[in-house]
Amino acid sequence: MTYFIRTVAFRHLRYSVGQSLLTIGVVGISVLLIIYLRTIIGGTQERITQNTTGAIPHITVEPPERTPVGAWQLARLGLETDVLYVGEVVNLPKARESIEDWRLWLPSLDAADPRVTTVSPIVSGQAFMNRGSRRQSVRIVGIVPERHNGVVEIEANLLAGRFIGLSSGELAVGRKLATDFGLKLRDKVRLVGPEGLALNFTVAGIYNTGFGQVDDGQVFVTLRDGQSLLELGGAISSFGIKLSDLYAAEDVARKVSPGLPFKVRSWVMDNPNLFRTLDSQGQTRDLILIMTTIASGFGIGSILVMVVTSKYREIGILKAMGATPREIQGIFVLEGLFLAVLGCCAGVPLGVLLLKALAAIRSVGPDGRVDAPFLIEIDPMLLLGASVVAIVTGAIASFFPARRAGQVDPIQVIRGS
Amino acid sequence: MPQPVVEIDQVSKTYYTGDVATPVLFDLSFSVVPGEFVAIVGGSGSGKTTLLNLMGLLDRPTSGVIRVEGREVSHLDEVGRAHMRRDRLGFIFQFHYLLPEFTVLENALMPCRMRGREFEVSQETRMRDLLTYVGLGEKLAVRPNQLSGGQQQRVAVVRSLANDPAVVFADEPTGNLDSKSGRMVFDLMKRLSRESGTAFIMVTHDDNFALEADRVIRIRDGRIGDMPNLASQGAEMGTGPTLAAEDAPTEGEMNR
Repeated sequence: MTYFIRTVAFRHLRYSVGQSLLTIGVVGISVLLIIYLRTIIGGTQERITQNTTGAIPHITVEPPERTPVGAWQLARLGLETDVLYVGEVVNLPKARESIEDWRLWLPSLDAADPRVTTVSPIVSGQAFMNRGSRRQSVRIVGIVPERHNGVVEIEANLLAGRFIGLSSGELAVGRKLATDFGLKLRDKVRLVGPEGLALNFTVAGIYNTGFGQVDDGQVFVTLRDGQSLLELGGAISSFGIKLSDLYAAEDVARKVSPGLPFKVRSWVMDNPNLFRTLDSQGQTRDLILIMTTIASGFGIGSILVMVVTSKYREIGILKAMGATPREIQGIFVLEGLFLAVLGCCAGVPLGVLLLKALAAIRSVGPDGRVDAPFLIEIDPMLLLGASVVAIVTGAIASFFPARRAGQVDPIQVIRGS
Repeated sequence: MPQPVVEIDQVSKTYYTGDVATPVLFDLSFSVVPGEFVAIVGGSGSGKTTLLNLMGLLDRPTSGVIRVEGREVSHLDEVGRAHMRRDRLGFIFQFHYLLPEFTVLENALMPCRMRGREFEVSQETRMRDLLTYVGLGEKLAVRPNQLSGGQQQRVAVVRSLANDPAVVFADEPTGNLDSKSGRMVFDLMKRLSRESGTAFIMVTHDDNFALEADRVIRIRDGRIGDMPNLASQGAEMGTGPTLAAEDAPTEGEMNR
């Protein structure tokens, strides 16, 4: 970039300061929009994903479903006692699927992958909770609290009592259920299992996680008590696995599945609609971003077209005096680039300020929890990326008017034609 | 005889529009020596501006040879011709086309700016002096839109000398000015030509100015017409009176 190109370009910009500020504003707003949209929508998607996966295991290991087989398949299978046949009527305990030898599998699941943070043996089933005249169906979840707290964070969300250290005859209950039953710590309730077995429990903990499925109709008891109520003997219903990276669920599930005689499901497979929603939301966001980028490019391009058109004669005389086409082109590309860079310098800090202001907002949700409505994480790579996009767009947009300027024929303009 | 600053030899120019050929100039040959003041006259469409554009390397001849200071330039590409114009040629046009963003001094220095900052700095004092000499000493730092038409054209004349050219091409430099301003600009060009030894080649409609040139070339239908040398007999090339202080235009004249 020669002294001539630099000084002429900057003098143009300084001389028409209103035009320059307008262009800088257009680029700045587009950079701001890119940063804002990506962060807000990314944060919302992260929030939805966390809300979906926060209370559930990332991977569930269950006994395989026993599918009825056709008579034609019998010969191949041989006469196995555990096979369900079409039309066969079985007693409930036989049909209930469970993992008997879970203690053997636990260590190998723990060590299955470095991304596995928690493996929680779980028994679960429906039961009735009775207190006085009130009776309601609830979901019994028998767990080892120390392990299960890694699947869904109960201990940190306790309103009263404890979760880790739950002992036999004690239960932990969500805020809604506790309110419905008017439960306080150390109150007694009666749980009746599906086979009619009834046991008395003392309320040891009341929690409010913010996850409806955990807070509303569910009680936690110890694994042992759960097995008793659901008459599972020593077996469990499933393993819940939590990972350090929830997006690795499919990957880890595929990795551990072949070595297990069980069905392995990731949360991704269980929530296809969520993925479709996030996907379409992402596409909408990308469309807006592309439009914004194009608009910013048109902003720079149209201003430069105007500048080139209004300076047609000056360009002609500069060329007559010996400016090369490349130098003239350089002047206008430099103007476009400089406007884009200044636009970024305006847009990036404004975007960060806006996001910081939004991140500071706190609101009280319907469940009484004080929370930030926007999940905002300012990504330096995004700031850099938005700037690069704006600058590249500016360069491309200025290239065409600049090339036109470079091609101005001095003979055509110096006679005033 | 000194080496010509510009020399054209058997130069022809034909414009093509699709398959239609329009010949404009036919086998022109002449040369201009240093310090010579040449007027090119001719009717509208006679080809005089085309001739000026060819000699000024703004256009390329269809055939023939053009030499600037002995160097053949007709084969140069666009960039080569641009560099040649930047280094050795000066231009004045009917419209001044000063850059509105730059001051009078910066405008006058623009051809130097193309050659780099150091060259510009080295020429600054000379250009200040020249602008002062043409009566614009008080206007160095103002922008062109604050000047009258005559003043703007005087800046353009000074600008044409910024790179100390071998020859200045002037295309109707007085065509857009009233007669008094036009006269002043013409006198200025003549004086500067004598002072600096720079050749001037001027296309003009005005026979009065043509009569005062060292040599007149009349173009008629693309050929050099019969034309006696109308230059005043006393003003032999390079021997005319030099510009003395008392000959300088008065302030009143210069502000027109």
